[in-house]
Parts: sequence; structure tokens; C-alpha cells
Amino acid sequence: MSTDDRPVIEAGPEGGFAVGSLDSLLNLARKHSLWYLLFGTACCAIELMQTGGPRTDADRFGFVFRPTPRQADVLILAGTITYRMALRIRRLYEQMAEPRYVVAMGSCANTGGLFQMSYSVVKGGDLIVPVDVYIPGCPPRPEALIEGLMLVQQKVEREPWLAKVRGRVADPPDPWPEGKESTE
Amino acid sequence: MGFDLGMLLGFLLVSGFALLGLLLLGKPLRPHRPEASKTSTYECGEPAVGPAWFNFNNRFYVIALVFVVFDVEVALVVPVAVVFRELVADGAGLLAFTEMFLFLAVLLVGLVYVWARGDLTWVRALDAGECREVELGPRSSTP
Amino acid sequence: MNRAEELSAAQTALAGSLGEAPALGGAALAGDAWLEVPAARWRDACRAARELPALGFDFLRCLTGVDRPEAGRIEVVAHLFSYRHRRALTLKTSVPRDTPELDSVAGVWPAADWHERELWDLLGVRLRGHPDLRRLLLPEDWPGHPLRKDWQEPDHYRGIPTRRAAPQTAGELAKQTYVAVRGVPSAAPKAGPASPGEDG
Repeated sequence: MSTDDRPVIEAGPEGGFAVGSLDSLLNLARKHSLWYLLFGTACCAIELMQTGGPRTDADRFGFVFRPTPRQADVLILAGTITYRMALRIRRLYEQMAEPRYVVAMGSCANTGGLFQMSYSVVKGGDLIVPVDVYIPGCPPRPEALIEGLMLVQQKVEREPWLAKVRGRVADPPDPWPEGKESTE
Repeated sequence: MGFDLGMLLGFLLVSGFALLGLLLLGKPLRPHRPEASKTSTYECGEPAVGPAWFNFNNRFYVIALVFVVFDVEVALVVPVAVVFRELVADGAGLLAFTEMFLFLAVLLVGLVYVWARGDLTWVRALDAGECREVELGPRSSTP
Repeated sequence: MNRAEELSAAQTALAGSLGEAPALGGAALAGDAWLEVPAARWRDACRAARELPALGFDFLRCLTGVDRPEAGRIEVVAHLFSYRHRRALTLKTSVPRDTPELDSVAGVWPAADWHERELWDLLGVRLRGHPDLRRLLLPEDWPGHPLRKDWQEPDHYRGIPTRRAAPQTAGELAKQTYVAVRGVPSAAPKAGPASPGEDG
């Protein structure tokens, strides 16, 4: 079930107003303020940094990086994921507060990438955490990453937010249930 | 009384409602799903080692205290320095100079005291019961 | 002096220090030659290589190993360089595969500390006298030593499957994303991979 009605925004010469369901208004506010966790493992992290840079300014969409998972909404898996790192990523994901979204950026986070034959590489981020958006590329250009984050925005726009808050929407299936007790 | 009690009441009401609003308005609009793993201490993804609360070394306090004293001293000397030319023209130059000299001398005594006590040394050794200054020699190679 | 002369000079110097000449292997003029010492004299040979003024190999470029199951041994290779004399040397030794133990040279070159941890991690060579021998690259509870030729990849590691269930390409995953988010496939399907490494 998705809320497809966007708020109707009327702009007049002395200001304007928006009319819509509470869901659509809250989602409108949320989608323009998706803060991502400052996290990256490999080359895709360089492109992530460039996307936050002045040329492809991610800040204009409201995507600000935060160093702590408590204040982050989006976890961008930027780079190769090794088994050793998988434990940390899982812990970071668990420490993020809802609502949280995961973006698999680049080939390595999608399927293991060019290290698919390696013994130490996890064959895709969706084996560890539930992924919302996959962005192909090696690495994806900043414009491709922005498109992926805009897809997250569109997903946020369609979410039945208040139903989610009241617990009436089921969580996506957890790909790694043992991850909850993973410690090293 | 020269101030408006009504304005004070307004202030109190607005700030009170703002506080309540900030705390309570979000509650029905956000999810509340506490879990043990979510509230665990953040340590860059690693399992947390040691408690999050620890004792600060009190040398920070001592240095900050000394700094504040001498910062205020400088702030009190600067206005005199700014108008010193005029004071000299008025004939009170020697008096101002002597006063400032005595002021700085009093605080200099304090500085010498703090220095001699060893409160200004930053690198210290934590031996049992004694905090002495440490000589930083060449770094030893890894074992 | 050319490489062959350098090598024989190094051989002589080491022979003087160890009491027996290390074996010369490989093709000298191809730059591929090495000196091989028995495993029991490994640490002495490395120390001599560093400390003898004629040799002076103070830089350990790399310390690694090769699994040779057909010979039943694991070869340990050290690539050395001397800044003083501007020349390189390759020292080799080999240990039996069943009981791969070797003296640690972390006391000779501090860089060997982590290189030997990698030897332990990936080949299972136990270094005697190493200050902190534990896995370097793989998780602590990883089964086995992956660079051995007979190592089998487990199906799961702590519940994470080591192979993807369906061999999905990144392009398919992106298409799934578009359908899931927008309800319709992407308007501009990509024709082939857009950059090297993208599997589409």
C-alpha cells in the first residue's frame, strides 16, 4: 500500500501553502532531509566523497553526511565488503535508528563485483543488511549515485509513514538473522 | 519596577510550550523500537571496549584556569594601552605606568608560583602517588 | 658488478657467516635468481643479510610464501633491498607442509611482523618467537588457510552464504530496484556495461 498523493503546493506572491494527507506532508519533509552515514570501504567511497563535493553537490538535495549512525537515515555501502567488515557493517546498521534505508553502491556492494571469486569478499551487501536501492557501476558516477539517492527519495515519498510508525507495516526480511549476535 | 510583567509571562509561556512541543510533538510521528543492539555504545562499528564515561585528567582544568586568569589580565591591560597616549599628554603617564606595572607584577607572582609547582607541565608520568615531568626521548622501536 | 657477480658475492658472504654456502637457484642474468638456505638457519641468514657490512640489506620489501603440495613443502620467500649498496636479493627457504614452522625474523626487520602474520593467516606457517602471531586479513575464527592449494571454501561464514543464491548481475538488481520503487522499469535501459567492472 503506498500513498501516491503528493501534497498540493500552491505558491502565491506572498508565500504559499501545501495541502495533503499527513503522510504525504511528513514524507515531503523527510525525503528532503535524508542524512547519510559517513561510511565507505573502497573506491566507491571516493566517488561518494566527490558526490558530496561542490561539483555534484549532494547537499542541495538535503543529503548531509553524519559520522554517527544515530543521526543517519541512509547507509550507503560504498565499496567492497569483506567478511571482517561485514560484522562491523551489521553493527552500524543495527545502531541506526528507524527510519533507515540502505543503498548498495557499486558492483562490489551489489554482487561482490570484480572480487566475486575471492574467499574474503562478501558476495553483495544484501547478504548482510536489507538493501533498498542498488546502483550499478564500478564506480558509479556521482550523477548515478544522485539518481540512486533520488530513488530512495521516491521510495520515502511512497511510504505509508504513519502506518509504519504504528507498527502495521511488516519489516523487510532480514537476510542475516545471525548478524544480531555477531561479535568479534 | 520598570519592566512589563506581561512580557515575562509571554516569554515563559512560549518557551514552556516550545519545550513541550519539541519533546512531545514528535512522539506520535516517529517509530519507537528500542533494541539492545540499537542502544549499544557506538564505537565505529566495533564492540565497545571500556565504559563511555571516564575521568578526565585534571591538568585540563588547571591549564584552563590559568588561561582564564591571564586572559582577563590582558583584557584589563588593553584599554589602558589604548588610551596611554592621552594619559601621557595629561601628565598621568607615570602614574598609569606604575599602576599597570604593579598589577602585572602581582599576577606575575602568581604565574611564577604556578610554574614552580609544576602545574604548567603537560606531559607527566603517572607513577604511584607522584606526577613528575617526563623527558620525551627518541621513540623505541616496536617489540 | 653485474647481477651474477653480486649474487656470488652475497653467497660467499653468507657462507662465511653461516658456515655453509646457501644454494643458488634460478637464472642469474634474468634477474630471477635467489639464494636458498635451510629452514634451521633462516634467522641466522636473515640477520647476516642485514648486519654484514658487505651485504647490508636493511629493507625487507616483502616476506611471503608459496604452497608447493607436489613437493610437500611451503616455500618462504624474502625480497630484500640494500639502500647502502643499491642492490636487491631474494632469500628463500622451505618448510614441510605437515609441520610448517619457521623462526620469526621480526627481530631483524620490524616490517616482518605483519608479513609473518599474513604468512600465518593465509598459509598456516607458524612463526616461532613472533611477538603477536594472529590473523591479519581474515576474521579470527576463519576456517583454514586460503592460499593453500587444497583449501576448500566453506558454504557459510557465521551464517553469511559464501555464494550468491542466484547469480544476479548488477544490471538485474538495478532493474529490480526501479520496479520496486517506481512500479515501472527504468525508462532508459542500459545497453551493455557502462564502465569496466560493471556486470550487466
